[in-house]
Amino acid sequence: MFVMNFLIRRLAQGVVIIFLVSLLIFTLLRVVPGDPVRMMAGGMAPEALIEQIAKDMGLRDPILVQFGRYATRVVQGDLGQSFVRPANGAATGGATFNDSSRGERAKVLDLIIDALPMTLQLAALALAFALTFSGLVGIAGGLAPGRWPDKLAFYISSIFISLPNFWLGIVLTLLLSVKLGWLPAIGYNGFGYTILPAIILAVELSPVLIRTLTSSIAAQMGASYVAVGTVRGLSRSRIIANHALRNASVPLLNLLGIQFSGLLGGVVIVEYIFDYPGLGLLTINAVLQRDFPLIQGIAIVTSAIFVLINILVDLAATSIDPRLEY
Amino acid sequence: MTTDINRRRFLRGAAGAAAATGFLQINPDFFISSAFAASGKPMTFLSAENITGNWDPTAHTTLSQKNIEGFVMGFLTRTPMRLDNPGAVNYELATSITLLDPHRLEIKLRQDIVFHDGKPLKAEDVKATFEYGALPDRPAQWYPGPTETLTITTPDDYTVIVDTSKGGYPAHLFIFLASFLPIMSAKDIAEGPGGVLSQRLNGTGPFKFVAQQGNDTVLEAFDGYFKGKPAIPTIHFTFVGDSTTRMLSLMNGQASIVERLEPEQVATLESNPAISINKVVSVENKYLWFRCSKPPFDDPRVRMAACHAIDRAQILEVLGSAGHASANFVSPVKFGYIDLPNYPQYDPDKCQALLAEAGFPKGEGLPPLEYITSVGFYPKTKEYGEIIAAMLQEQGFPVSLTVLEPAAWNERLYDRPGGGPGHMVDCGWSTASPEPDLVLRTHFHSSSHRITGIVDKDLDASLDKERAAPTLEARQKILQEETMPLLASKMPALSLFTSVMIHAMQKDFVGLYIYPDGSMDASATA
Repeated sequence: MFVMNFLIRRLAQGVVIIFLVSLLIFTLLRVVPGDPVRMMAGGMAPEALIEQIAKDMGLRDPILVQFGRYATRVVQGDLGQSFVRPANGAATGGATFNDSSRGERAKVLDLIIDALPMTLQLAALALAFALTFSGLVGIAGGLAPGRWPDKLAFYISSIFISLPNFWLGIVLTLLLSVKLGWLPAIGYNGFGYTILPAIILAVELSPVLIRTLTSSIAAQMGASYVAVGTVRGLSRSRIIANHALRNASVPLLNLLGIQFSGLLGGVVIVEYIFDYPGLGLLTINAVLQRDFPLIQGIAIVTSAIFVLINILVDLAATSIDPRLEY
Repeated sequence: MTTDINRRRFLRGAAGAAAATGFLQINPDFFISSAFAASGKPMTFLSAENITGNWDPTAHTTLSQKNIEGFVMGFLTRTPMRLDNPGAVNYELATSITLLDPHRLEIKLRQDIVFHDGKPLKAEDVKATFEYGALPDRPAQWYPGPTETLTITTPDDYTVIVDTSKGGYPAHLFIFLASFLPIMSAKDIAEGPGGVLSQRLNGTGPFKFVAQQGNDTVLEAFDGYFKGKPAIPTIHFTFVGDSTTRMLSLMNGQASIVERLEPEQVATLESNPAISINKVVSVENKYLWFRCSKPPFDDPRVRMAACHAIDRAQILEVLGSAGHASANFVSPVKFGYIDLPNYPQYDPDKCQALLAEAGFPKGEGLPPLEYITSVGFYPKTKEYGEIIAAMLQEQGFPVSLTVLEPAAWNERLYDRPGGGPGHMVDCGWSTASPEPDLVLRTHFHSSSHRITGIVDKDLDASLDKERAAPTLEARQKILQEETMPLLASKMPALSLFTSVMIHAMQKDFVGLYIYPDGSMDASATA
């Protein structure tokens, strides 16, 4: 019953958040410079044609009217059509809107459905790398506060947080792909192409995870139940694995929810550098082409993912520690 | 702490050892497919520009898509356009092109050509292509006059007569265009705009269009190509927006050829023994376009003053190997090019004299001027844009530089009623033909004036006169002695330099012929 109440309440809150994000993105896109109709119609199109197209598409109506129309369609599962991309999904430019031979435009939902699994694969691998590495370094640091594993964890997280992801991407590509030939790097032609970008994202994620794990493990190991556990005859490894780690994972879980939003930001840059065909690359091209429907669609989907992940994280944290109330 | 071996520890250790042994036995290629192409494998070309999404060749002016057409489509002729012989012509689908009289051109076709869909190439295809491409609603607008000004007859299946009498312009204009206009199938054209033409390419070239997979255009060697099946089996023509990504992809062996290298990247790659650099003086000039339809650049004296304020030698220094000095409005590989004697040189005294004459002594009274440029597509635009802005400011022009990403810049590029955005715009213009009117008439005749907005009766008259010249020789004389010098006295735009097209490729691909517009001949047979 608790779970049902929790889910209903949080999902209702999530709908409000997604609605507000959509409204914000929708409004911002229409007040920033860059007329999408000019982009669609081509630079040489006469002003009269531009205005005609804009009126036909409803782009000269008040923003709230436009948003109402858009939201009605979104509720029915229709995120609209891309302004510029053809149905085959290629990034395009230079076409003229009034060209009668122009092909069918791609559905925003189709473009997102094609790109999203790629990004989720990248994000999942990055999280796996980050959690594995941070787990090893952070737990060791937390179990030996003030000693060399703790210092090593501190140094590693300090170095990692100082590395810009675009720079690290280029350097690791030069090293692991160009010089050593161990990993493919650019584009996507199989699972191997996910590894290098995932490493870059993992490096970006790890510092906060390492610091959180180190401090929370150290705090748990100083708690009285650990000392009592020893008195009860429990082995150190059992105390760590079954009790300290479990309790230390609550702040880590909460952090993961927040880190995921950072991961989506990092994905944009990393996917662009590696020409990785996910949601990040799709976003950059959509922004550069002022492809409003695509930008709006991506914003709605990413905010929905963000909301869902945070709900799941809170649910997991509550099940680990029932005293928590979200 | 005890170190005794017990059952649990033994099982844990055994499982760990088994996993480690298994990892060593697994071929990592199972997880990671090799990114490296061996010789004879597909060619991957990384393009700096995206395509339009409409395969109709008459629907766009986009360079990257023209490059794809260069692989797939057939052309009546090909023009290598090299500095040492700009007028050279190689016949491809045509066996001869003869000017019968000033208004009639005879084209004879090869008889062993087939389209990728199996249809034999005949005169009807050339006729249909010319008539369709010249329709006023076709966005590319490469043709010298609309369809109603052309009378095209086909005395037999392999002869085409182009008659331009109704239009009043000479038929020789089609000679240079013959190397630029891809020949489409009459069957495809019959379906009209929105038909099969927009959905895929169907040509007579060495590679046939297979599919568009996201940003990857896939082409395959055509068995029925009249010179024999090309040795390269497949071409992947892929849009990759970032120049560093393109370079890294070439360095790790994933890409075969990349284009539009920055000069610094050239220096890096030149030291790499596996990579070869190809530089070619291109058909593209880079210009500082003036908005001639609004103050202050509606006054030719102010435009000329700005031209005298700019030291083009400094710009070339910044560009390094990516720029080639020229003193005309077209590239040196175009028909009619000469170094114009009256092309404005850097001369601050003349600049000041012209400003004073125009009523703006030392720039006083000039409105704030916006100079718009892009970053991310052409090399060094921001760097030399800052230099130009500084040089203009030094002479009293109150210039501010606006640097935009390509999409936003493109949106502000063209003329609009009352003058386009800003007062000066940086842009290049590239057309894969020696035909100079694809630049001159496009930009400086009042019927088009795409960026400058210039309306000038003298320029119109001179451009009409050179176009109407009865022979190529007469046309060349008018261009070099009248039209081009007249343009240099009015300066609706300052051509800054000619671009050098820089490609880098794996050594396996050395020998591909790269045309000055960036398209390439990959048709060599095994």
